[in-house]
Amino acid sequence: MTHARFTRRQFLAAAAATAGALAIGRPARAKGSVTAAMYPGTWEEAFRAHVVPALKSAHDVDLEMTPLFAVDQIAKAQAARGAPPFDAFVLDPGPRVTGIDRGLFEKFEARRLKNVGRLPAGMVDDWGVTVAAQVVGIGYNPKKLPRPKSWTDLLKDPWVSRLGMTGFQTTYGTVSIIEIAKQFGGSETNVEPFFVEIKKVLSKVAAIGAPASMPALFQQGQCDITYTNTQTVATLRGRDVDIEFVKPESGAVAFFTTMHVAKGSREGENAYKYFDTVISAPVQSALMQPPNNFIPVNRDVKLAAALPMASLDEMAKFVRHDWSKINPLRAAWIERFNKEVAK
Amino acid sequence: MTVRVRPAEWQLALPLALAYAAFFLVPLLLLIGVSAFDDEKITTLGFAQWRRFLADPFTWKVIVDTVKLGGLTVAATALVGYPVALVYLGAGPRWQRVILFVVILPLLTSVVVRTFAWIVILGREGVINQALLWLGLAPAPLRLLQTEHGLVIALTQIEMPLLLLPLLSVMSRMDPSLRDASAALGASKWRTLVRVTLPLSLPGLVAGCMLVFASSTTAFISQFVIGGNRLVYLPLLIWQQSLVVYNWPLASVAALTLLVSVGLGVTAIAAVGRRSRAYAV
Repeated sequence: MTHARFTRRQFLAAAAATAGALAIGRPARAKGSVTAAMYPGTWEEAFRAHVVPALKSAHDVDLEMTPLFAVDQIAKAQAARGAPPFDAFVLDPGPRVTGIDRGLFEKFEARRLKNVGRLPAGMVDDWGVTVAAQVVGIGYNPKKLPRPKSWTDLLKDPWVSRLGMTGFQTTYGTVSIIEIAKQFGGSETNVEPFFVEIKKVLSKVAAIGAPASMPALFQQGQCDITYTNTQTVATLRGRDVDIEFVKPESGAVAFFTTMHVAKGSREGENAYKYFDTVISAPVQSALMQPPNNFIPVNRDVKLAAALPMASLDEMAKFVRHDWSKINPLRAAWIERFNKEVAK
Repeated sequence: MTVRVRPAEWQLALPLALAYAAFFLVPLLLLIGVSAFDDEKITTLGFAQWRRFLADPFTWKVIVDTVKLGGLTVAATALVGYPVALVYLGAGPRWQRVILFVVILPLLTSVVVRTFAWIVILGREGVINQALLWLGLAPAPLRLLQTEHGLVIALTQIEMPLLLLPLLSVMSRMDPSLRDASAALGASKWRTLVRVTLPLSLPGLVAGCMLVFASSTTAFISQFVIGGNRLVYLPLLIWQQSLVVYNWPLASVAALTLLVSVGLGVTAIAAVGRRSRAYAV
């Protein structure tokens, strides 16, 4: 038996040929890829199930996701100084304003999106495109508590002794506290009345938790009422948790989740294809279905009955906030919250 | 003429030393550098953040609470862990392997999973409260989550392997004839424990306590998930400043404060260990 022998020259030639074939073969496989930052959990799972295949079949682009919360995306992009670790951001309004302030986004060209005409007015601007809405209100356990009516009920008995709270670290926490403050005479830029009121009932509050632990705390019965968004309520309901969403009398809060092209990204072209796929009617419709429970932004999508509005235009009546005013105050609010609630 | 250099010990340590310099020393210097800026955008040099941070009485409360948490966790793990080590010492080789496996077992699951499991255990409708209510030991569910003692209970379990591994390794090298000699000379079991076993196992105990202290004071996930916002420790301040409000100079100040506090705590434990060893001998 003889062994096939390669000379070094043959080996190098073969290696070069293989590498060459791989290099040529590659574009035939996919037109490219785009790396997108993605919220971990529900978002990542939903995008893996619906956006990845849709983007592949429509544009032959591979979507790679980096699971990061909004605040982490800003911190990473800022630390990377012009060499972003991903091509596309997905952000809540607060971090979005920070991103604009610190020059982390490329200018946005709405005309590069085919589906842009299907979005309600104001969903695209110079910095990015809205891909989903979030509606914030009160979630409570109807088996344990009577139905609350307003934000102020959260600080009254019997609700307050079963209340689960988070601070200003998240968008939904911040807007909820602003709304509570408003009921006591505060405003978007003045949450002082909230601190005055919460101090009176602080010892009764059932839980003041880390945002990520709130669903677990609710599920475990540590608290039976909390401010939250419709998506979390729907997800918990899907796990047979007794929870119902209530729109407070003064109105539920709406805010939008937007996507942006990272400054210095080399995959801008594919990023636009990715955004266009996300806002397309079939994908938006799929994202709305359980267990994803997104609130769509495409007019062609027939809204599910469980959503807190009959049409997207109703969202105009929801309470909105100006994050360019909130952001500069947030650091002081967080500090204040630490001091007021810490034992 | 060429001199042939034989590889010395320091050359073998070089890869680790370089990695240490690149991934610890340089970031540490950067941290110190960033802390010496006044503004969030890192443009103006100054010590305003240091002044602001250290002049705030709340900061000092947080520092004391953080060190206290470490101290309580060390005390609880040592109190619970040392008897386990004694059982290990007295067990045969087969049981020693079983004990070692049980000790290492928690390390095989992620700290996040272990922490969330503690929500289920300590919660209002959790295992402990259900048991207390069923036994009639408490009229209403106790508040265990988001309290310091609840957090210490959880950290005791989470950090236990860090105490036991160095302790068991020292114990397993202990000469059993020393204890036999002590018994033969008429010492009671208790006296043998205090005068022979404890002093001999002290290096392992001290090493374990230092690890537990450093790990529990910096255990951000466990502190935040189990302690919630009611218990504020330095890691929470660092997270808020670096990732929520992007005030990196202040985050660096808090991080360096944590580093110094933990360093002082660990040094203190080492000093206590040295003193008690001198006393024992």
